Amino acid sequence: MKDTPLANCERDFLLKAIEEKKRLDGRQTYDYRKIKITFGTDYGCCFVDLGKTRVMAQVSCEIVTPKENRPNEGIMFFNIELSPMASPAFEQGRQSELSVNLNRQLERCLRNSKCIDTESLCVVSGEKVWQIRVDIHMLNHDGNLMDAASIAAITALYHFKRPDVGIQGEEVTVYPPEERDPIPLSIYHMPISVSFSFFQQGTYLLVDPCEREERVMDGLLMIAMNKHREICSIQSSGGIMLLKEQVMRCSKIASVKVSEITELITKALENDKKARKAGGRFGFAESMPQERITALKKDETPVEMTDVTETAYDIVQKAEAPPQTVPSPVLPVPGMGQVGLGLQNSWGLEDDEEEEEEDDDSVEEQEEKVTKMEVEQHRKEQSSGDVVEISDSEEEEVIILQPEIPNRGPKNAGSSSDQKGAAKSKKRQTK
Amino acid sequence: MAGLELLSDQGYRIDGRKATELRKVQARMGVFAQADGSAYLEQGNTKALAVVYGPHEMRGSRSRTLHDRAVINCQYSMATFSTAERKRRPHGDRKSTEMSLHLKQTFEAAVMTQLYPRSQIDIYVKILQSDGGNYSVCVNAATLAVIDAGIPMRDYVCACTVGFVDETPLADLCYAEEGGGVSSLALALLPRGGQIALLQMDARLHQDHLETLMEAAMTACKGVSKVLDEVVRQHLQEVSVLTGE
Amino acid sequence: MAADMRLPVIRKPVSLIVSTDRRDLVVPGDVITSDTGFMRGHGTYVDEEKLTASVAGEVQRVDKLICVRPLKTRFNGEVGDVVVGRITEVQQKRWKVETNSRLDSVLLLSSVNLPGGELRRRSAEDELTMREYLQEGDLISAEVQSVFSDGALSLHTRSLKYGKLGQGVLVQLSPSLIKRQKSHFHNLPCGASIILGNNGFVWLYPTPGQQEEEAGGFYTSHEPVSLSDREVISRLRNCLLALAAHKVLLFDTSVLYCYESSLQHQVKDVLKPEVMEEIVMLTQQKLLEQEG
Repeated sequence: MKDTPLANCERDFLLKAIEEKKRLDGRQTYDYRKIKITFGTDYGCCFVDLGKTRVMAQVSCEIVTPKENRPNEGIMFFNIELSPMASPAFEQGRQSELSVNLNRQLERCLRNSKCIDTESLCVVSGEKVWQIRVDIHMLNHDGNLMDAASIAAITALYHFKRPDVGIQGEEVTVYPPEERDPIPLSIYHMPISVSFSFFQQGTYLLVDPCEREERVMDGLLMIAMNKHREICSIQSSGGIMLLKEQVMRCSKIASVKVSEITELITKALENDKKARKAGGRFGFAESMPQERITALKKDETPVEMTDVTETAYDIVQKAEAPPQTVPSPVLPVPGMGQVGLGLQNSWGLEDDEEEEEEDDDSVEEQEEKVTKMEVEQHRKEQSSGDVVEISDSEEEEVIILQPEIPNRGPKNAGSSSDQKGAAKSKKRQTK
Repeated sequence: MAGLELLSDQGYRIDGRKATELRKVQARMGVFAQADGSAYLEQGNTKALAVVYGPHEMRGSRSRTLHDRAVINCQYSMATFSTAERKRRPHGDRKSTEMSLHLKQTFEAAVMTQLYPRSQIDIYVKILQSDGGNYSVCVNAATLAVIDAGIPMRDYVCACTVGFVDETPLADLCYAEEGGGVSSLALALLPRGGQIALLQMDARLHQDHLETLMEAAMTACKGVSKVLDEVVRQHLQEVSVLTGE
Repeated sequence: MAADMRLPVIRKPVSLIVSTDRRDLVVPGDVITSDTGFMRGHGTYVDEEKLTASVAGEVQRVDKLICVRPLKTRFNGEVGDVVVGRITEVQQKRWKVETNSRLDSVLLLSSVNLPGGELRRRSAEDELTMREYLQEGDLISAEVQSVFSDGALSLHTRSLKYGKLGQGVLVQLSPSLIKRQKSHFHNLPCGASIILGNNGFVWLYPTPGQQEEEAGGFYTSHEPVSLSDREVISRLRNCLLALAAHKVLLFDTSVLYCYESSLQHQVKDVLKPEVMEEIVMLTQQKLLEQEG
């Protein structure tokens, strides 16, 4: 089935919103959606939620004969499966452009960056090596499949343990996990892909586009990096023209994002390890009763609700009476109906983030062996700084939070003006 | 391969080039009569043929028709005899499908497709001999073919691969260097505006080096563009003389 | 069978002939002018208020309008152009015609002359029997009636000189080689006729004896063509190819001169590179003499 096209007014709305630095789900330009990592019962099974995008990765292994030109290296195999389950636009069977793109990018990100020690996978040189196979299934498509897939793949690889082997003379024995503890893979570093989408010929830039945004974007730039600020792969796609400054800027943003995501993954892995050691319930079995697996689960609102009523009351008390402005409908001729693109939206677009999570919240989460964390940097500032009141008063000032990152504040400011300049010159050219 | 010295102490590379030196580029336009545009390009030992058909009516599935611009259809293939080991499939595997995709993206950025609504432009590229930098050679050959076909473009698209060895960027990698575990970066550039039509990088590289590497790639691309420019002007002269007024 | 062999010869670089660097030749991305007073024509675009070329070719200026004409391109039809085309599809009330244009051209049922005279009404029956008049693969000559907004051409054959083509030879050349003239239909004195389609398709056919009326140009004779006629047509075809190979503009005089110069060679020899060169040289000389 072909994708249903986006309505023109929808497209215009999205682009307009992006121009005004607003996003449909209330995120800031450089915000990621909520990332959630869950593990299955088996080693090497991992679910990643990126907002509504949901991806499953499963690592498996078998002993095969190595490639002739690499006799003492194990084989890595990656496969991304775009099942029609995730989106009606994905076709069964056929290799679509998207799937080729994703598969190759993942290969480049994980295999070519040599993050896994393939030589340690050799059993008998030239005869038997381990083949590690990473299967990634898209369960729900809501944009930015690449990032979700790369997080899922690398987490699953970290989580995975292969059975131990023993060699006596010619004989190779694979020990079941009951006899000998399985061995984790040796992984050098953790490459994570970060996607940037460009709009209006590269004038506007967004991190982690959702499905709607992906549909109106002009092009995509994927940068895979590890936390040591080493770039593992870069790939631009979709006929856009980039400027060097833009790429440099993206790489800087990527390095920040990557360190955050790496932290999250490490935490998730640690939690899972602890849980397994404690012998408690973990993975799939644990998540079933809490309905984590099903997509229809309800997300608890991450908003501080304890004193909302009081604050709201306070504000209402303090606020002056709103001026009596009745929105008057524009009637060109009395008695005439009007159908059009709609007038200017008079609803206050609320910029304040809905996420307001207290730290004790996340402690609870940890106890649940599921790590959930927002990667928005400004969250921390927010929770430490003034609480933004959400009130129903019409007089309320909308507080726009500037995503300032203290550790790279000046740098960011400099490059942002760069970007603007570049964007402007770009715009001029396209005229 | 680990022992191979890619850059000698004197600053020379395996094939005797300096770090920023390109391989010799030779090209000819209009090599076939049947096609709307065609070109042959050699960059060192890498040789490629590019052929352009169109813009013409949509062939195959009509459903791909775009109502506001032309569809660009690319096919990249490698001759079975182009590599040291005989290739079994000239096209259709993951790598060449990806390459076709990248070519398509590159030319979608450069060709003014909005001038030809509902049509299709076919670009077929074949590598006859592969000695590194396949992508860049294909882009350069295809650029000439598109110009030969008289299809409007914003600018030339020039591509080049660069590598990074011992803190030095190496321009235009050959096969031995590509295989030697060098982190390589392929870049397609519209030289006049300095816009990047495609950027692709493999292997690990520290973020701080990215700028130097990109700078080197852009310089190399500009070098290629000079050669292409010469070829096109030469071709123009020859043909326009014959049509002569 | 006698094999024809020749040794490799050095190609004469043509650029040696010209010493002057022509300034009116541009390549994509070249800035033509930064003066904003000019109008943007085909083959150009505006980049940072500078008029820039988007194709490789020569700059042409008509008053304030600047265009760049590429050396080789698909056919860009204009109203009134004579074209030779091939039917590719029969649709409802229209035929699709391949004319070397960037989109298939359209020939509407309402813009053809049906047998039975100019004023015949088109009935539903005509719609059903469209394939009897023209079917897929038929060659036609026609004139461009109008150009659609997406660049597709609408053709018509409402004149006795247009219509279905019968026996003859089609030569496909580059559209830029055809010289625009008052008439593109010529009965050459050498005994054959030629239609020089603006789209680069050239049709060579034996000069018809008498103009059959009333047929509407849909019925073509299948009478055998005499050997001498066929020889003349073959020679003309080879001459056209020779001229095209040397990028000489095609019009009745150039074709005729070329034909005359080729008479001393056998028909099959005309395509040999050295003969081609010789014939074309002679033709060019004759053309110069005529001009001067």
